[in-house]
Amino acid sequence: MTEQTPQKEPERPPEQRSRDAEFWAQRVERLEASEIPAGAADVNVRGRREVGALQGFGQLWQKTYRVRLAGIEASPEEVVRVWKEKFPEFQPPQNRFYPSLAGVAPGELLFISATVGGMPVHTGVRVIYADDVSFTVMTPEGHPESGWNTFSAHRHDDGVVVAQIQSLARANDPVYELGFRLVGSTAQEAIWTHVLKSLGAHFGVNEPVDLHKTCVDPRLQWSQTKNLWHNAGARSMLYTMGAPARWFGGMFRRRG
Amino acid sequence: MKEERKAPETLHSSLHILRLEYEELGHTDQRRIDMPQAQVTMDVRKVDDSASVIDIRGELTGFAEGVLMEAYEQASKGGVRAIILNFEGLEYMNSSGIGLLVTLLIRVNREKQRLLTYGLTEHYRHIFELTRLDDAISIYGSEKKALEAAGQVER
Repeated sequence: MTEQTPQKEPERPPEQRSRDAEFWAQRVERLEASEIPAGAADVNVRGRREVGALQGFGQLWQKTYRVRLAGIEASPEEVVRVWKEKFPEFQPPQNRFYPSLAGVAPGELLFISATVGGMPVHTGVRVIYADDVSFTVMTPEGHPESGWNTFSAHRHDDGVVVAQIQSLARANDPVYELGFRLVGSTAQEAIWTHVLKSLGAHFGVNEPVDLHKTCVDPRLQWSQTKNLWHNAGARSMLYTMGAPARWFGGMFRRRG
Repeated sequence: MKEERKAPETLHSSLHILRLEYEELGHTDQRRIDMPQAQVTMDVRKVDDSASVIDIRGELTGFAEGVLMEAYEQASKGGVRAIILNFEGLEYMNSSGIGLLVTLLIRVNREKQRLLTYGLTEHYRHIFELTRLDDAISIYGSEKKALEAAGQVER
């Protein structure tokens, strides 16, 4: 038996660093990008506040998409590592993601250029949480949705790795709400199904995607009608229409 | 060779592919997908006829959904108007845990109750601000202050 010398208990800091501290992004008042990846537009990201599941206008939906990656040898950590690395590649062609150089990491911005009904929509999301087996993105003002998407993987009791996308979000304004009810919701479900199918295909798996959706809050938040001001669809349209003027402006500045 | 992005004119075909994939959703996978067990305990204390405290100890993640909702149902018995979450024992929280708090808040609002919290460390206060939960959930420094605020709701 070893004799132990009584030791003075080390002084504890006022607040111990939480185990999850390194996984969370720092809070920012407004979004700022130090660099904009080639091909991306920060028009509906720069200066915007982040909005969560409580701030939007429409009905609040929780949608959980899952695919069983049966037969793969990769661990949930490996699946999520690949998912982070190839996130833009797993998107459908009309939904382009432009990560920053740091990739999917806490606090990083992912710019999005999507095509909706033939019209470009420039927006983005910020990674607010990322650990070895999951990452979560949060939307800015003007984005079609107000809320979060969490991408994760875990091992099921039977040993099979399951990849999952869970969104908890509502439409950001009345126009988006109408759009979601008409076609947007179906289109969005098709996008995340495509992402999970692409992830599965990367690991050589072709399994069906399971979708479970719940309307968490059926009420409309009429006080958030003001969110229309930031509508990224409308602003992207104006941004696109203003492209020739920006081009000429750039020419004159270069010559001047 | 660098892969070229599809031109806009291929939008129709890509949407068609998406539609086919989406239709697969109709054939829902019926196998039950269970989650690992929650590493959390939640004890309910009924302070008085109008308020209950839920003491949360451990990890608040997506796996805690059943435990949290069960605790809420227990805490709500007897027409309680204020549900107070005690986070003094919170050791870990991820974004799915935040999602649980949102769904709890919606339930609480639907029942015309009020959700209050205390015992959040500086770190978890920042997370409440980051996710803008603090817009809708009142945060207090102690149980006494939370109970005082809950009492004011009743008056």
